[in-house]
Amino acid sequence: MLLGLTLAVGGCEQTAKAPQTRSAFVLPEAATISDFSLSHVELGSYDIEATRGKWSLLFFGYTHCPDVCPTELFMLSEMMRALEQDPGAVSQSPQVVFVSVDPKRDSLQHLQQYAGFYHPDFIGVTSEQATIDRLCESLGVFYERVYYKDGKALDLEPSMPVPEDLSDSYLINHSASILLVNPAGKLHAVFAPPHDPQTIISDLAAIQAGWRS
Amino acid sequence: MKKVFLRALGTVLLLSCAYSATAHDLMVVDPWVRAAPPNAPALGVFMGLENHSGADRSVVAARTTLAVDRVELHRTMKVGEVMKMVPQELIPVPAHTTTLLKPGSWHVMLIGPEKVPAMGDMVQLTLVFDDGSEQTVEAVVRKGKMMMQGHDHQMSHE
Repeated sequence: MLLGLTLAVGGCEQTAKAPQTRSAFVLPEAATISDFSLSHVELGSYDIEATRGKWSLLFFGYTHCPDVCPTELFMLSEMMRALEQDPGAVSQSPQVVFVSVDPKRDSLQHLQQYAGFYHPDFIGVTSEQATIDRLCESLGVFYERVYYKDGKALDLEPSMPVPEDLSDSYLINHSASILLVNPAGKLHAVFAPPHDPQTIISDLAAIQAGWRS
Repeated sequence: MKKVFLRALGTVLLLSCAYSATAHDLMVVDPWVRAAPPNAPALGVFMGLENHSGADRSVVAARTTLAVDRVELHRTMKVGEVMKMVPQELIPVPAHTTTLLKPGSWHVMLIGPEKVPAMGDMVQLTLVFDDGSEQTVEAVVRKGKMMMQGHDHQMSHE
């Protein structure tokens, strides 16, 4: 999806001030995100309007995630702590948003408690599965549920029912990219893994310096 | 770094003189549990597994005294920009090598902890090897994704 997006707009005139970034892939033209409405346990609705006026870093995952989400959320918490030490490193601190692709198991309260552990400013949001699926498709975020029985992955056709005893014990393979949404509510850049706090900070600073709303 | 290498080499030479394999042919180095939110459904345990013997070994199971639903061996694999989390039947520790269990790679998963341990707590973990031997270690709960200072030489053994 992202590749398609790149190709589609690749022929457009390059912005004069394309920022020099070390790891971020900056879209030649920020992309409109299809309308979505997610929920947060205290803030209520989290939609495009909620992203306006600030820079947001979106990471998609789930709290049952064995390894990748804890690693990424810890990395993002390190980034926040580095920014607290050196607030001038960027012109505006980003809002970190953890989007759960697993609303079946991640209640809003559970999700926020989980995300907030890494940093009190992190917010955890989700919605009905269909809404999540539309948003993921719009942003080029991939995820898939995988069921294991006796250590082996089950090869389930979409039409096949999930065995009763496994209905809550699946793993999810998912994109580990971090998406940057700009203050106009558009997808601005993508940070592909692996991630490093200092690189994200310097790329964010470069992107913000070249930003004109 | 060089000193550490020489020390490691010395250990290997010393062990290779031993007439029989001992449990210490396989050393568990710096085991730790990643600090997690109090409601975390899964906990990762990481460590270095140093095999100083001439025989390939593997971890085939693990258990803990912490109250959990189950313990699994896992490996995270990066395929493009997608991270795949795959349960494993064993974690290989080939002869004369170190297998590093670390975030984004091999790890032991404690699934469904009744109570998530706090920073600084010690978690007892027993590793079961393919030859039937076992080793029990105390893994400290700490933040972070990197190995402790002084153990960075293990990275070169990957």
